Order: sequence, then C-alpha cells, then structure tokens
Amino acid sequence: MTTTAATFSYADTSWPVLERTAAAHRRSWQMLAAPGEWWTGAERISIAAECRRASAMVDGLPDPGAGPATLPEAAVYAIHKLIGDLPNVTREWYDETISAEGMSDAHYIELLGVVVHVWSVDEFHRALEIELEPLPDPLPGEPTQIRPTGAKAHGSWPPTVWPDDLDERDADIYGGADRAANVRAAMSLHPDSVRWLSDLFDAHYLSWIEIQDVQEPFRVLTRPQRELVAARVSALNECFY
Amino acid sequence: MLRESSQRSGTLDSLNLQSTVNPDADSGVPQGSLLTAFAEAAVRQTDALPGLREQIKSELGVQELVDAAGVVANFQRMVRIADGCGIPLDEFTKDATDDVRGELGIHEYASAANTA
Repeated sequence: MTTTAATFSYADTSWPVLERTAAAHRRSWQMLAAPGEWWTGAERISIAAECRRASAMVDGLPDPGAGPATLPEAAVYAIHKLIGDLPNVTREWYDETISAEGMSDAHYIELLGVVVHVWSVDEFHRALEIELEPLPDPLPGEPTQIRPTGAKAHGSWPPTVWPDDLDERDADIYGGADRAANVRAAMSLHPDSVRWLSDLFDAHYLSWIEIQDVQEPFRVLTRPQRELVAARVSALNECFY
Repeated sequence: MLRESSQRSGTLDSLNLQSTVNPDADSGVPQGSLLTAFAEAAVRQTDALPGLREQIKSELGVQELVDAAGVVANFQRMVRIADGCGIPLDEFTKDATDDVRGELGIHEYASAANTA
C-alpha cells in the first residue's frame, strides 16, 4: 500500500512523540519517494516494500526469484540479508553482491541507505505498537548517476569520502566537521544517505554535536540509560563495531 | 560511550558492562534491567513487549518510553550500516575498548572479522 502524503501523525496514539521526530519521519518518506543517484523513486519504494517483507519473514532469506521483478535478484537478497541475517554479512558476500547484474558499489550503498532508514522508522513504530506508515507514491525522474569524485578506499568495504575530499555540492554532509567517524562516513558514496542518517540520528538518539558531550542528557533518559539501551541493541545484533 | 557517560555521572564504580551481553546481570544503571529487557523485547518482537512498555511508563514515564524506543530504532539502523559496510573500528575506539571487548566476548562475534 502506498500513499501520496505521509502524515506520521501521532496525535491518535498513546505516546507523546515529539514533533521533531514526526517531522524527521515525514522528511524520511519524502527522501524515500524521490529518485536517487542510482535507483528511481519506484525502485526505492520497491526496496522499502521488500524491507517490510523481510522483517515479516521468520527464516530470514528468500528463495531465488521470489522478489519483485522491478529489482535485481541480488538487490532483493541483499535487503533480506541486511534485515534478517546480519551476523553473516561478509566481505565475500559484499563483493559478490556489488558484482551481480544490475548492481554496483554505489547501487548497494543507496539500497543500504533506503533499507536502514525505512527499517529504523518502522522499528520505532513497532517498539511502540504504532501502525506502520503506508509507503509513499514514488516521484518521477531518473537517477542522476553522480558519483562523488573524492571517494577512496579508507578501510570500509565500499569507498568513502572523507571531509577533505568532499565535492562542493556535498560539502554539508558532515556539518562542516573536519573528521567523521567511520560509521558516519560509511555511506558517503551516496551523500544523501549521510544526510538522511544525520537527520534520523538526531531525531531518534542525539545530534552528532550532542553525542560528544557525554555529561549532558539532552533528552529525558540519562546518558548512561541511553548508552545502555544502545549497547544492548548492538549486542543483540552481534555488532562488533 | 556507556563507560564514559557513567564515569562523567559518577556511577562508573557501580557499572557492570556484562549487562550489555547478559540479560541477567545487573547493570548498575537506574532502571537498567527494565530498559535492557525492553530493548531485547523490541529487537526480538517478543510477547513481553506490551508489558514492558507499561512498566517503563509506570516506573520511568511515558516520555522516557518514547525516548527509549527512539534509541532502539537508531541502533537497529546503526548496526546495519556498520556491518553492511564492514567499517573498521575508529582508532580511538579500538584503543579505548579493546580490554572490554575481550571481557564481554565481543571479539567472538562473526562481524569481528569484518571490522578488525
């Protein structure tokens, strides 16, 4: 099911969801619907829909050819792998995925950006038992296929762009910082995914500025309470980072 | 971040990091057991989730519950970015946490091979 305008209205729920969170969720759906650098708006909506199917599957991984015809088979498999089989994501699998028909490192990173942000908004809803927002209708337009010129190997599987190597059009993605943590730079091959990450990071957790001051709570949970929840979620996902 | 924030808030002595990997361990963080139980129920989508929501609402407050849901949602995203890209540990993180990672068994995670 899709819709033309995402409301993310929490007024009829039991929970006092902050307007900043609701607004970030609405912006997420606007970003989701728009064509990206490597996928059309319709393909991005298909990725989001497949992400929802993956989260509903018990055994994690789909049969070959079971996904929508609008997406390459490797893309469908990647969505399910990232949602349901994360501990077994490996460098070998990544290399196979970006070499598959219809894929590239840039396609993978934009797909990852769509998956993790849709998943995150949905997980917020599931944690509070709020009905999932219908996916938006796709906006028309073709992918720009613009690749950052400063993308280099920096230790992550995909190339990343460090602050000194940003193109002028992407100069904002780290908020002017002269260095970026590896997780913040991870999706910089697709700069809009970094922008999307910062927006939801701030809405759900803390801003990149706030995170540096470990004494201030900034939100209602104390910092130790906040970091304990974060650490537990990471451990449950067996995340080394 | 947990260790550092506990140090700054003067509660480092009572902090038990085992609680991040062992749900039966007492974290030493106020209402920590309740919050980690909520995190686990939300991640695993277990039947305990509705009751834990009510318990947090009662013991901490409804805004704290919404805040905790946001943190869960955030880290459900961050772990997938980290493991989906095989990012290396930042140098300062590696230096600051190597001992703790060993104690908690985090070096044994499959994803350790991707980020070491």
